[in-house]
Amino acid sequence: MERRDFIKIAGGTFLAGSACAYAFRFLTASNIDGLIVENLTTGRKYGMVIDLTKCIPGCTACVEACHNENNVIHSGDKRWDIHWLRKVTIENKLSPEVGKKEVLLLCNHCDKPPCAQVCPVQATYKRHDGIVIVDHHRCIGCRYCVIACPYNARMFNFKSEEEWHNKDHPKRSHGVAEACTLCAHRLDKDQPPACVEACRNVGTGAIVVGDLNDPRSEISKLVESRAVKRLKEDLGTDPKVHYIGL
Amino acid sequence: MFDLNKIKEKAYLIAALAAVVVILIPIGYSIVTNLFAGPPQPRPFLEMPDEKYKECVRETEFMRQHHWELLRTIREEVVRYGKRTDININKCRECHVSREGFCNRCHNSVNLYPDCFGCHYYPEPSEMAEKMRKSGDKAILFGQSIERLPDLSGE
Ligand code: SF4
Ligand code: SF4
Ligand code: SF4
Repeated sequence: MERRDFIKIAGGTFLAGSACAYAFRFLTASNIDGLIVENLTTGRKYGMVIDLTKCIPGCTACVEACHNENNVIHSGDKRWDIHWLRKVTIENKLSPEVGKKEVLLLCNHCDKPPCAQVCPVQATYKRHDGIVIVDHHRCIGCRYCVIACPYNARMFNFKSEEEWHNKDHPKRSHGVAEACTLCAHRLDKDQPPACVEACRNVGTGAIVVGDLNDPRSEISKLVESRAVKRLKEDLGTDPKVHYIGL
Repeated sequence: MFDLNKIKEKAYLIAALAAVVVILIPIGYSIVTNLFAGPPQPRPFLEMPDEKYKECVRETEFMRQHHWELLRTIREEVVRYGKRTDININKCRECHVSREGFCNRCHNSVNLYPDCFGCHYYPEPSEMAEKMRKSGDKAILFGQSIERLPDLSGE
C-alpha cells in the first residue's frame, strides 16, 4: 500500500468513528427526555471550621447527630462500628503543661484528594463544589482509598447497618468504603449539615460549614481573622477542614 | 501413498459439514424448544396504587420500559452532580404501596434481582397497610383486588 493511501484510509476511519461516537450519544440519550446531565459549576468550595476553644469537653452531640442522620453503624461493637466523625483526646508528651485536648476528626475533603486518585473505578471523586464523596453504587470494595487517606478518615463496611435511623437517607451495603460526605444531601437543599445543627442546638456553634470561595461567608471571615491550622498540611493534600485552637 | 489432493478434499468436506452443523444447532434448538414450550407465560399480576394517584412521573408506557434508565439517570445526577429534585427513588413508595406486589412480581418473573432497596428505604407491608387504613386508599395490597392493567400481550 502506498503511504498516501494508508494515511487516507486511516484518517477516514478515524473521522467516521468519531462521527459514530458523537451520534451515539444523541441516540442513547434521547430516551430520557429532559434529563441529560449537564455539568454544574456553581463556583462553590465547601469547607469547615472547627473552633476547638468553644468545643465542650465530653460533648458528643455532633457525633451522634451525624451517625443518626447518615445511618452510620454505631451498635457499640468495635469490629464493625464506623465513625464519620469522631472525637479523640490528644496529649503532647513533650510539653505536658498544655494539657489534654479533645479534637474532632473527620474527612478533610482534601482539594487534592489521594483517595480519589487511587480509586480504580472512579467511585471516589471530588464534586464540583469540592466535596469528596463515594458513589457507593460503583465502589467495588478494594479498600485502596482506606489505605491512601493520610487522615484515617475512610472506613470500610464489614456489615450493613440494620436499623433505619433516617428513612429518607440510604444506608450502605456491606463491602463498600465510606466517609463523611459533608452532608452533601443537606447542603444541596441549603440546609446546614447535621453536626453543625446539633452543635448549634447544644448552644456552642463550634462547627461552621460554608463556601470558602465567597469572601462574605461566615467561614471565610473566620479563616481570614483567626489563626487556623489544618492537619498534615505538609502532605500537599490541601485539606479544607480548618481548626481554631489546635 | 498419500494423495494430498484427496486429503484436502476430505478436509474441506468435513469443514463444510461442521459449519452446517454449527449453524443448524441453534436454529434447531430454538425450533424444538418452541414446539414443546407450551403456552406463553402469563403477565405477572401487578398490584396497582389507588385510583386517585393517576399519574406516574412519566407515562405508563415509558415507565414500563425505561423506569430503570430514568432511575439510573437520576442517580447519576444526584450522586455525581448534586442535582436533587422532587423525583427520586423515595418517590415510588408514595403511591406503590407494595414492593413485593409491584416491583418484585415482574423482576422475579424475568429472574432479575436489583438491590436498590437493600440500601434505600422501602416501607414494610404492615407499615403501608397502616398508612392506607388511615388515608382510606383502596389500592390493591396482597392481591385483594382486581387487576387494572390493560392486557398488552397482543391477543
Ligand atoms: S481526608 Fe481522606 S477520605 Fe477525605 S478527601 Fe482527604 S484523603 Fe480522601
Ligand atoms: S474501596 Fe471503593 S471507593 Fe475506595 S478505592 Fe476501592 S472502589 Fe474506590
Ligand atoms: S458534615 Fe455530615 S457527614 Fe460530615 S461529619 Fe458532619 S454530620 Fe457527619
